Amino acid sequence: MTDTARGEDGGTLGEETASSTALRPPLPKTATDDKPHKSNARHHWIVRVTHWAFAGAFVIMVGSGLQIFNAYPRFALKGGTFCCYPFEGKSIPGWLTFGGWLAGARNWHFAAMWVLVLTGIVYLSFIYLHGEWRDLVPRRGDIRDAWEMLKFYLFVRRDHPRQGKHNALQKTSYFVMPIVAAIIVLSGLAIWKPVTLGWLTAVFGGYVWARYWHFVSMIILVLLALVHVFMVFAVDPYSIRSMITGGYNERNSPEARNARPFYHLLPRWSRRSRAARASQAVEAEGL
Amino acid sequence: MSQLRVLRVVERAHGILSSRDADAPDVAQVNEAHRSLRPEEVSKAVSACDRRDFLSMSACSLATALLAACNSRGPDEAEKVLRFAERQNEVVERWLLRHTAMNHARGRIAGSAFPMYFISKTLPVWDTATRGPWMLDVSGLVDRPMRFTLEDLVRLPARRQRVDHFCVEGWNAVAEWWGVRVSELARVVGVRAEAKYVDFRSFDSNFHESWDLESATHPQTIVAYAKDGKFLPPPYGAPARLHSPIKLGYKNTKYLTNVVFMAKRNGGYWSDQGYEWYGGT
Repeated sequence: MTDTARGEDGGTLGEETASSTALRPPLPKTATDDKPHKSNARHHWIVRVTHWAFAGAFVIMVGSGLQIFNAYPRFALKGGTFCCYPFEGKSIPGWLTFGGWLAGARNWHFAAMWVLVLTGIVYLSFIYLHGEWRDLVPRRGDIRDAWEMLKFYLFVRRDHPRQGKHNALQKTSYFVMPIVAAIIVLSGLAIWKPVTLGWLTAVFGGYVWARYWHFVSMIILVLLALVHVFMVFAVDPYSIRSMITGGYNERNSPEARNARPFYHLLPRWSRRSRAARASQAVEAEGL
Repeated sequence: MSQLRVLRVVERAHGILSSRDADAPDVAQVNEAHRSLRPEEVSKAVSACDRRDFLSMSACSLATALLAACNSRGPDEAEKVLRFAERQNEVVERWLLRHTAMNHARGRIAGSAFPMYFISKTLPVWDTATRGPWMLDVSGLVDRPMRFTLEDLVRLPARRQRVDHFCVEGWNAVAEWWGVRVSELARVVGVRAEAKYVDFRSFDSNFHESWDLESATHPQTIVAYAKDGKFLPPPYGAPARLHSPIKLGYKNTKYLTNVVFMAKRNGGYWSDQGYEWYGGT
């Protein structure tokens, strides 16, 4: 890929990437390099389908779960107290709930759970068999890379760190999300069948604690998902297309665009790197 | 690049203009123009709606349809799917059930914090003056239908168990119960092979709940007459009630009067209103 090809969208972008690539080793060769206008499938259709099915099922599960929680919005055993939940007895606002009433929410919860579990199993089996897990498992150096990403987002570092399919922060959250989801599913089973699967309930510390871990891990996954959605819109909106049609143009990757959150919404002049602005200032003086 | 220019370039490239135009475009120029086009721009020029437009339009209409079909209870059309899921869940739940899986309560006894519950407007109390002495009627598909007084029940082999009570609402409460196993009653009356379900009826309005035989004969399913060392007071289902940790609270009939062994299930007070019929734990 040449610098002119990367900077075709606008002169300022061209200047910036030209100046920054001069300091950096060239980007890795991808299938798009020879045909700059053609995008290749970034996510396999199985990943795309399971992603959206899981997302839909998860929304239903959270809404109906909160409705169920509202039937007894505390964790204490009857006749006891609970140490570790500051909002004992406070109901979840109605607009966050789904299912209408306890039985309706339970019916939704126990139907959508199969969609959630089956898509999760299909997804994990697929990325294991197909090799995509290599993009997600933590490696030595990920902590340093995550630190570099943070520095970049906090304007401490000027250039986007080099990355593979995902940056180190993404990698970490995409690796953690299935683990949290597995905890949610297992603690959910422990609540659903506290006698026939009593050993599982015991693993979570009994019925009360299984409910608590189910709730806490749900909150964690919701927060991760919210950050994920926020970052998709703020940093890499092109990835929405890659999760629908599979297409992704590497020219638009956050690394190629040197994108911080909401970079694409900023006025053009503010996107220019310091180096580009400095060189322009020199040119202006020369004139 | 404007639509117009795209069209003109495409037309030119296909030689449409060449016959009419005095100055026919030179081939190199056309090729150059064609090369600068992106494939999607060409398709946009040819068809009115490309894949991206199609996808965004379908996404919008799908979202609108979903929103229109939704209320807080979800679309009514989903009812069939939910019923199907409930039937499938029951298959899994019955497959999971083992008579060896027993509940061992953790935590301290709830005592008076144990919620009391009935569906009648006032506390149901068995009035011996008008109804005669209370008796538990065990009937249905049995060899020897029998009626047990409270004394008869106490004389049968007693089971004492400290177990959880799991409520559908999400709470659990620990109590110590004394009672007779339903499996013991079934043995005494001689349940026939065709009996697959058991209905537990009460004198609390029309409350009843039917169970599968496997759950009803679980070793921890008892007709309880005492709680925490005292005979049941009226708020907790006196004179006797069904109790088992392997079913949710609403399946455990209080103010028990009849145990009927049946070939078919006949629903129940809460099951008929939308709660799962199986309601197992």
